[in-house]
Amino acid sequence: MTKKIENTDVDYGDMTGADRDLLTAALKRGATRREAMQMMAATGLSVAAAGAIVTSAEEAIAATPVKGGSVKMAPSLHGPDDAIVPAQFTSTVDYTRGRCHYNSLVQLNDDIIPQPELAQEFGANANATEWTFKLRKDVTFHDGSKFDADDVMYTMAQHYGDDSVSVVKSLVAGVEWKKVGQYEVKAILESPNSDLATLLGEKQFKIMKEGSAEEFRSGGALPTGTGPYALEDFQPGVRSKHVRNKNYWRDGPNFDEVEIFAITDPVARVNALLSRDVDMVAQVDPKAIKQVESTDGVQIKSNASGSYMGMCMMLDREPGNNPDFVKGMKLLHRRDKIVKSILKGQGTVGNDHPINEAYGADFCADLAIQDYDPDQAKHYLQKSGVTGAECVTAEVTPGMTDAVLMWQRECSKIGFDLQVKKVPTDGYWGSGWMQTPVNVVTWNMRPTATIMLDIAFAPTAPWNDTAWKNDRFGQLLTMAKAETNAAKRHEIQCEMQTLAHEGSGMIIPAHMNVVDGHASDIMGIPNLSLGILGGCEWPEFAWRA
Amino acid sequence: MQAMVFRRILIGFATLWVVSIIVYFGLSVLPGDAAAIQLGQAATEESLAALRAQLGLDRPAYVRYFEWLGNMSTGDLGISNAGGATIASLIGFRLGNTLELGGIVAVISVPLSVFLGLAAAMYPGTWLDRALTFGTMSLVAVPEFLIATFLVLIFAVKLKWMPSIAYMSGGETFWEWVHALAMPILVLVVVVSAQMIRMTRAGILNVMNSPYIEMAILKGVPRKRIILRHALFNAIGPIINVIALNLAYLVSGVVIVETIFAYSGLAKLMIDGVQTRDFPLVQACAMIFCGTYVVLLLIADIAAIMSNPRLRNPK
Amino acid sequence: MSNTTENPGAAEKVVDEIDKFAELPDAPPKKTIKLSWTGKLAAAIVAAWVVVAFIGPWIAPFHEAEFILDDSFVPAGGCAEMLDELYDIEEWTPEAITKYCSDADVTLFLGSDYLGRDTFSRILWGARTTIGISFVATLFAYFMGITLGIGAAVSGGYIDMVLSRVNESILSLPSIMLGLIVVAALGSSIPILIATASVIYATSVFRIARALGQDIMVQDFVEAAHARGEGLWWIITREVLPNAAMPLLTDFGLRLVFVILFISSLSFLGLGVQPPTADWGSMVRENMAGLGYGSYASIWPAIAIGTLTISINLIVDDISAKSGGSLAKKMV
Repeated sequence: MTKKIENTDVDYGDMTGADRDLLTAALKRGATRREAMQMMAATGLSVAAAGAIVTSAEEAIAATPVKGGSVKMAPSLHGPDDAIVPAQFTSTVDYTRGRCHYNSLVQLNDDIIPQPELAQEFGANANATEWTFKLRKDVTFHDGSKFDADDVMYTMAQHYGDDSVSVVKSLVAGVEWKKVGQYEVKAILESPNSDLATLLGEKQFKIMKEGSAEEFRSGGALPTGTGPYALEDFQPGVRSKHVRNKNYWRDGPNFDEVEIFAITDPVARVNALLSRDVDMVAQVDPKAIKQVESTDGVQIKSNASGSYMGMCMMLDREPGNNPDFVKGMKLLHRRDKIVKSILKGQGTVGNDHPINEAYGADFCADLAIQDYDPDQAKHYLQKSGVTGAECVTAEVTPGMTDAVLMWQRECSKIGFDLQVKKVPTDGYWGSGWMQTPVNVVTWNMRPTATIMLDIAFAPTAPWNDTAWKNDRFGQLLTMAKAETNAAKRHEIQCEMQTLAHEGSGMIIPAHMNVVDGHASDIMGIPNLSLGILGGCEWPEFAWRA
Repeated sequence: MQAMVFRRILIGFATLWVVSIIVYFGLSVLPGDAAAIQLGQAATEESLAALRAQLGLDRPAYVRYFEWLGNMSTGDLGISNAGGATIASLIGFRLGNTLELGGIVAVISVPLSVFLGLAAAMYPGTWLDRALTFGTMSLVAVPEFLIATFLVLIFAVKLKWMPSIAYMSGGETFWEWVHALAMPILVLVVVVSAQMIRMTRAGILNVMNSPYIEMAILKGVPRKRIILRHALFNAIGPIINVIALNLAYLVSGVVIVETIFAYSGLAKLMIDGVQTRDFPLVQACAMIFCGTYVVLLLIADIAAIMSNPRLRNPK
Repeated sequence: MSNTTENPGAAEKVVDEIDKFAELPDAPPKKTIKLSWTGKLAAAIVAAWVVVAFIGPWIAPFHEAEFILDDSFVPAGGCAEMLDELYDIEEWTPEAITKYCSDADVTLFLGSDYLGRDTFSRILWGARTTIGISFVATLFAYFMGITLGIGAAVSGGYIDMVLSRVNESILSLPSIMLGLIVVAALGSSIPILIATASVIYATSVFRIARALGQDIMVQDFVEAAHARGEGLWWIITREVLPNAAMPLLTDFGLRLVFVILFISSLSFLGLGVQPPTADWGSMVRENMAGLGYGSYASIWPAIAIGTLTISINLIVDDISAKSGGSLAKKMV
């Protein structure tokens, strides 16, 4: 939910009531800041005073959502493989549609703390091995049928079994679901997990009506959800249209209608925002940020996040099995320059482990940032005896290839031959990543530091993408999952982050902010970092002034 | 002539079959299959196996090819490997979109190009001719995406006369529809006409070099009359050929325009199909493109024969 | 460039044509190529680019992969010093450039690209890649297209049928899709790009060559050669090729443009030449975001492509105007 502004008493200075109404009306109509300032200046105010008044007037308007209107949103990727069954969601367009169409058991707020959604109350036993979810009783699906525990059981069952095609299958592998009553379910865990509720905030765990996945797969109707908007039209790879759910179980969404269609070309996407043919766009190319910022009526939304770009050196084969090679390579990244010149400032410096400030208390701030030191690097590389390597790269996130090119340039300066082989993104995950000795990766931010480390750094994780098997790390991870004391967990986290920083074959030069663009009259977009436009949570909360 | 048309249609089917084999081999050499692409970074061996079973990808590729061939011959295009929708539903309205856009562009650009090409050929070496030659060459030489983005920046972002994307919610009036499509039409007319103008001019000037035209010139027949009465009819074959190829391009080759204007058409669909390794989808698009090509060239040849007495009655 | 009744050259031209009949009917007509003033200018431009293609890396101020400035799309004459002072690109006026960069150590003649590399240097380096790839690919396309096309025309029968069907099939598929498949399967190294482009464009050459070959095969002089008992090889090399050479040559320029555009359209899909190698078409694509800032970083390489291809086509026009071949009929 957006942070409500407590104090709505606007300091209008010496303005007359009529002027005040005029200003408010103009801003609600969508007047730009510049236009409003000109209005104020016409009444004889100084620029500074006018600015302050416009700001507080904007805030006052921002505090009171307006219902109505429609909105067009353009994500970056789509195709005939767009999914509508939550277990198969893989892209932001799926997530956003999912947020319109379905609800989750819990929702994550801006601080990534799980809040009640379809589960009215939830909690774990003392050692976090058993979680209970009490469900809301007043919820109906779009087709009018009642929501209850059977739907939850059905939805969760999608993530289990040999024939399950769920993409989050391994995240909940050790969890058994039990129906306790018509409105209560229990999750029984093989090993303690204090983050289960947070994990269920991932977009693939949205709840659908019992039986609807099978019906859809056999050519029947689209799956039914309880979400704030009902699906009026869905054409994979083209668009979807969502209309307000009049029977929504809570106050409900603000727009009457939401249209989602992707514009894959980054330049065209920004142009569509600038010409106001769409109201919101996902993933603004770093190069275009200044252009959006300097245009009236549109603005950038940038949320610091833990998403990262990484270069993976596989430790189980040549040349990554040579520790001196790995050490040398880690010293060849001008991390601040990558943030400044490739990400255009929309990111933070990375430290070769996946956690940064965005993860809050779990981040280990004491660990010194990896140096940029070509001389040391040269020393280690000479010691390793490796004289060349090939990095297979794909543009998995904007700026990835550029960061690799910068790395290549640094290598060539000290006489190391780093070949770059760029391949198309589509086949890359299956044939480049985790297959070739040196490759690249990007990971979106996960709800907690423990979940992130569990997915990609645990010794048993299927996505341990540098083949880094550290037993101590594995033990610490099990401890961290069970630990409910924040201070103790920080200590464990610090040790894990240090281990990954020193030992894994992962180079993480930078974390990327989530950078999107929207029209200035779209208000109330949440600040959750787990995905585009406030963690894809905007459909229920945003509104048009 | 009927025998010729019949023979060409038979040859067309042979070409379609060869295309299907090329697509089959093309897709099988690509890294990854539909399941691997769909799961992407989230793939595990287990989930890959499950999805492959669900999509029927666990059977050998050649079995799926013959199955597709069998279904195809009964008019069944099959089901998308990527999303599970029927191919017919994916293609249906995109084909409509493609034909709408291509049709409008053709209606504008063909007469325009023939007219300008004729004008250039009629007064060769004049400023009109030089301007047209230079203009069309410059446009041919500039990448399409630069032209498109440039026009968007001017007409959509700066002047705000036209939308920057050709997106329609449905239920538009005719003028709203024209307004929404204005930019892609403009770009395609520019791109396609440039080449057709050049070819029309070249075709006519070529005929102008033939002995009977030279004879006419020596006899003192006015140039305008020579071109309209004699040269045009003899040059019409090659000109129609070029027009046909450009129309085929409007159906299959406009992926960049479709991408930049977020317009759902067949060309983009086929690229999406290749990128998601969606075998039945790519095959269906390939059949449509190849069929269009064969039919358009056949029409061009028939038109050339009809317009030229010498070809109408071969010796 | 043209021969009109208004043009005093027309009469000469007709005399030229009549002169031809004085020669043996067997002999290929003699062609003398005289360039008009535009043709001469064009030839000079092409020659200049070819020279740049050879010596570009040595005359360029920087390496093509060198990151010079931290900021992207710095305008022409910009330098690192001004960046600390200015934030908005709109503030990079000519006055500001003079103020901050008049005595800077490093100024960029054509400004910087999206990564802060020197656009001018990259154009000089890129000449080699762009001209090299397109020229070699077009040559290969011609070699393959002519060999197979004339081979098909001369041999006829099953060989002709199979070759023609395969050729039609490739021709009917969108070239960008074929490029996508090959590059995705085999990578986008320069040899692969050349091979892909040459196969795709060989199909059009095949069509022209086969049609020309068929035309020529039924000409009286070829039949005469047949009657004289000349072998197939003799007929191809002495009769078919010389007669087909001029129309094919004039098509060469257009093909070259198409290859350059094809590589640039692959870069639109994120394929194309491997970075950081500079290629004009890819440079246009990667710097498009700069258009919104009024940056010319994507316009300069487009101008480079334009000057090269327009010049080649002007030369081609001159040649075809003199050759009087039946090119357009066969043109694809």
